[in-house]
Amino acid sequence: MTNHWIDIRNSDVIMAIGGNNAENHPISMKWVTEARKNGAKYIVVDPRFTRSAAVADLYGPIRSGSDIAFFGGLYKYIFDNKLYHEAYVKNYTTASWLVNPDYDFEDGLFSGYDEASRKYSKDTWQYQTDGETPWDTEGAFAWVNAPGTPAFTTPVAKTPMKDMTLSDPNCVFQLMMKHYERYTPEVASAVSGMPLERMLEIWDLFASTGQPGKAGTILYAMGMTQHTYGSQNVRAMAVTQLLLGNMGMPGGGVNALRGESNVQGSTDMAMLFHIIPAYMATPNATVHENLRGYLEKETPSGGYWTNKPKFFISLLKEMYGDYATEANDYAYAMMPKLNGKNHSHIAMFEAMNEGVIKGLFLWGQNPAVGGPNCSMERKAMEQLDWMVSVDLWETETAAFWKAPTIDPATVNTEIFMLPAACHYEKQGSVANSGRWIQWRWKAVDPPGEAKDDAEICTEITLALKALYEAEGGAVPEAITKLTWDYVDENDHVDISKIARAVNGYTVADGKLLSNFTKLAADGSTACGNWIYSGYWNNEDSMEAVDQPTGARDDTDPTRKGLEGGMGSYLGWSFAWPVNRRIIYNRASCDLDGKPWNPDKPLFEWTGTEWLSNDVPDFGNKAADGTETKPPNATAFIMLPEGEARLYAQGMADGPFPEHYEPFESPTDNALSSQQNDPAVVIWESASLGTKENWPIVMTTYRLTEHWQTGQMTRNLPWLVEIMPKMFVELSIELADDKGIVSGDNVIIENNRGAIKAYAMVTNRFKPFQINGETVHQIGTPWHWGYTGSCSIGGIANDLTPNVGDANTMIPEYKAFLVDIRKEEV
Amino acid sequence: MAEMAIFYDASKCTACKGCQVACKQWKQLPSPLTADEFEFTKSYQSPLEVSPNTWIIMTFDEVDQEIGVEWNFMRRACFHCSDAACEQACPVGAISKKDNGAVVIDQEKCIGCQYCTNACPFDIPKWEEADNKTFKCWLCQDRLANARLPGCVTTCPTGALTFGERTEMVAAAKTALDDVKARGFDKAELYGVDELEGMHVLFLAHRGLEAHGLVRDPKVPDMIEFWQLLKPLGGVAFAAAVGGLGLSYLSGIGYKREEPDEPEEVEK
Repeated sequence: MTNHWIDIRNSDVIMAIGGNNAENHPISMKWVTEARKNGAKYIVVDPRFTRSAAVADLYGPIRSGSDIAFFGGLYKYIFDNKLYHEAYVKNYTTASWLVNPDYDFEDGLFSGYDEASRKYSKDTWQYQTDGETPWDTEGAFAWVNAPGTPAFTTPVAKTPMKDMTLSDPNCVFQLMMKHYERYTPEVASAVSGMPLERMLEIWDLFASTGQPGKAGTILYAMGMTQHTYGSQNVRAMAVTQLLLGNMGMPGGGVNALRGESNVQGSTDMAMLFHIIPAYMATPNATVHENLRGYLEKETPSGGYWTNKPKFFISLLKEMYGDYATEANDYAYAMMPKLNGKNHSHIAMFEAMNEGVIKGLFLWGQNPAVGGPNCSMERKAMEQLDWMVSVDLWETETAAFWKAPTIDPATVNTEIFMLPAACHYEKQGSVANSGRWIQWRWKAVDPPGEAKDDAEICTEITLALKALYEAEGGAVPEAITKLTWDYVDENDHVDISKIARAVNGYTVADGKLLSNFTKLAADGSTACGNWIYSGYWNNEDSMEAVDQPTGARDDTDPTRKGLEGGMGSYLGWSFAWPVNRRIIYNRASCDLDGKPWNPDKPLFEWTGTEWLSNDVPDFGNKAADGTETKPPNATAFIMLPEGEARLYAQGMADGPFPEHYEPFESPTDNALSSQQNDPAVVIWESASLGTKENWPIVMTTYRLTEHWQTGQMTRNLPWLVEIMPKMFVELSIELADDKGIVSGDNVIIENNRGAIKAYAMVTNRFKPFQINGETVHQIGTPWHWGYTGSCSIGGIANDLTPNVGDANTMIPEYKAFLVDIRKEEV
Repeated sequence: MAEMAIFYDASKCTACKGCQVACKQWKQLPSPLTADEFEFTKSYQSPLEVSPNTWIIMTFDEVDQEIGVEWNFMRRACFHCSDAACEQACPVGAISKKDNGAVVIDQEKCIGCQYCTNACPFDIPKWEEADNKTFKCWLCQDRLANARLPGCVTTCPTGALTFGERTEMVAAAKTALDDVKARGFDKAELYGVDELEGMHVLFLAHRGLEAHGLVRDPKVPDMIEFWQLLKPLGGVAFAAAVGGLGLSYLSGIGYKREEPDEPEEVEK
């Protein structure tokens, strides 16, 4: 979330799209309800009528996979009716920036496409510039000269060319208007299946937040991301919020509702293959041959990320301690690296299938139910020599050899099950969607032999270190020199020592850093995760309760000179970065530093000082902390542009979100002859099907009553009682076509598999009219599998395709094709 | 002690069933431990009805619309009526009305006769064969005695369930009614303020009583009035003696049609 849960109450219009907040994030409705007390409206856009839709002011049905048609149409509607926040767009976004005149877009393809490699060359996507400014290494960037800082060629900032009248045909604003000319309301409605009148009603309501002082928020989840253009879906929301001036605003933002209590934390800590802690690129042997190469490639010319060398070298110092010196590139060579290939979830199982990956460590993961095309994933597991499952139960993955489709006699995989402690049986921090890093204390000891994950990890790491010390091996220093002193006198994990390492400290004296502004690139500081720095900075205590992460002040005081608490609760836990509750919060004020909405002021510039209700993310103080700085227009400090991107060259599949069809689609792309995202990698094993064979759109989702792959809930009788069976929801019209009635056993199938479910026939699903034809959509939860003591059932992901997003490789779980029939008895 | 009440505002409810589970957890009411114990209900409503081991359910009713549906939720559990048919029907004084308004079954005294299950105009009390006892929500008397909110109210994430002195809850309900009417819910009604001389669970049904499955103008069955006259004559002994006559009428007036067990069997 750019904002946070409580802040939803500051919204004027709340739009849930690609997320089902009432069902999957029930607490969000507390704040939606609060907002509505003040007259806010709540919009739900979803392929099916959910419990969120049940309480919405406006509901718009949308075919799975057509979100960019909806948003592209919204942009055109905003442009045509001049509903954008003009001052905001002009000053805080790249609307005025001029793009290379050779940039082009034609029939679904941006300029620079190479069909053979399915990749874009981005040369023509770049900005026009008319000057260069090297880093001032005597002034602001003098830190690069500090002894111990590795040598690297510092970046050169290019001066952009702008047209503040927004009329130059090559300015981003004009290019954008041109790009979305095709997205008329009629086209958007035909592609998405949303009735035209309802679509216009929704657009009109949400675009009303473009008025200065109004705030709209977008709540989304996996319905937005799990598509082959999922990243562009997210871009589409961000661009909407920029046009309407909703970023940085209380009650605004693009708010990812995280689907697990600590998924924000695990992402911050580098759960994904392409990032290391705190959102830095994973070193890649083919791109960053040495430390110098990494710093030169990864350090931008402007914005706060110019400090990346400090963050990266401090991370290396934490990882390799005294062994990491300037002379050995701070042990950069020891750090694990990518080999130029894709190592996402889908690719990992391909590699397993090919016998490249021999062992699998599963830590609270259940891909035998949760992975895309997961019968193929279970098959791939048969190639493994060994598997370790750290979990609360025997998951379907740990028991993959018991799968109905597998003959146990042919499986030679050795499986180790390590019983894990559950959340109340261990302590540690949990980062919620709003980036609040809240400490959670242990309530009870784990039962039997179950252990805290950190303890399991520590035992394994110490055993590995002892083995490499004793026996050596390939590059043993990568293991033997790795810092792992997060233990007590008995070599049991001491979580407070991990917290200190994550927060960062001065190497010379081990003293905690107050926050990441104290980090250095010269090896004098160590820090495991720079964005967390400040969450555990009290040197006088080793106890969480005395640290910012453990702070529990439940008052929301009015800040000096400003009216009313804003729900920031700055004394409750710690939000990264530096306890900031709303990021890009400079944008909540106009150029003169006056809040767009005087009734909900995060900040206000009085002419001599800044009043604040949050931690500012703009330079309100000079470097020495004494002088107060007047407002400037740099509202987006993390970007080299200093202004938010309506146009993003960093995307693999184009600088503007463009509608493509899901890889399995019931229709032809009405917006271009490019049926699918042209930059997507296709895996043969996905066994894609066509609409001729599989005419029905299917999507997958979660229920309030169950959790992920179901292990946490299908083993709990109380939760099974409130939703006992795997089912499929379908419309009355489709059920009539197929001779199905509620309660029937049905088979849902496609090229990848066939599953059984109970039919739930309901008006909550209705046929769509797509490009002039009737298209049926069905949906199932993906909570069921073949282990679990109280309820077992069909695995929805046996049907989902292992084809991934062009930028992130997230699988297209949310839109694919099937057929459905009544089970023959 | 002041009369207390739960206020359920359906316009704020997302039917997450948190209340359903919180109730079972607090009372440690069991659910079957084996797979396939439950039937598929063809609905998000599960189980379909309250039972001796499930004292609250959320009900789900769909009304078709041109776009989507009206999906109407309701909290189904004891209403804690002032004019409580169950309490009047009980031949052994096992059901009592507390000063705080709660209507409570004392299972120690309950003889499993099921007069209450038949008398209740809402079919809420449920008889359990194994123990020959009847069960229903008791408005968390143990929690209230320890200054805790009822379990269901504690867990409600949206504020659809609130709890307090009944007079304050009635006022809150009236304000909430005005609010939803202002939002365009013309058919919105309150329930429980006056019904059965006032209930201790109040409802805001923003799409109207029928849409949410509430019984309009509930009545204590006439036979209960007659029974009330006879009851002081002799409690259990009377019930045993006259069993075949007046009581057989009573057993026929409610929603259930099962034969009640003989009271004697319980007493041994």
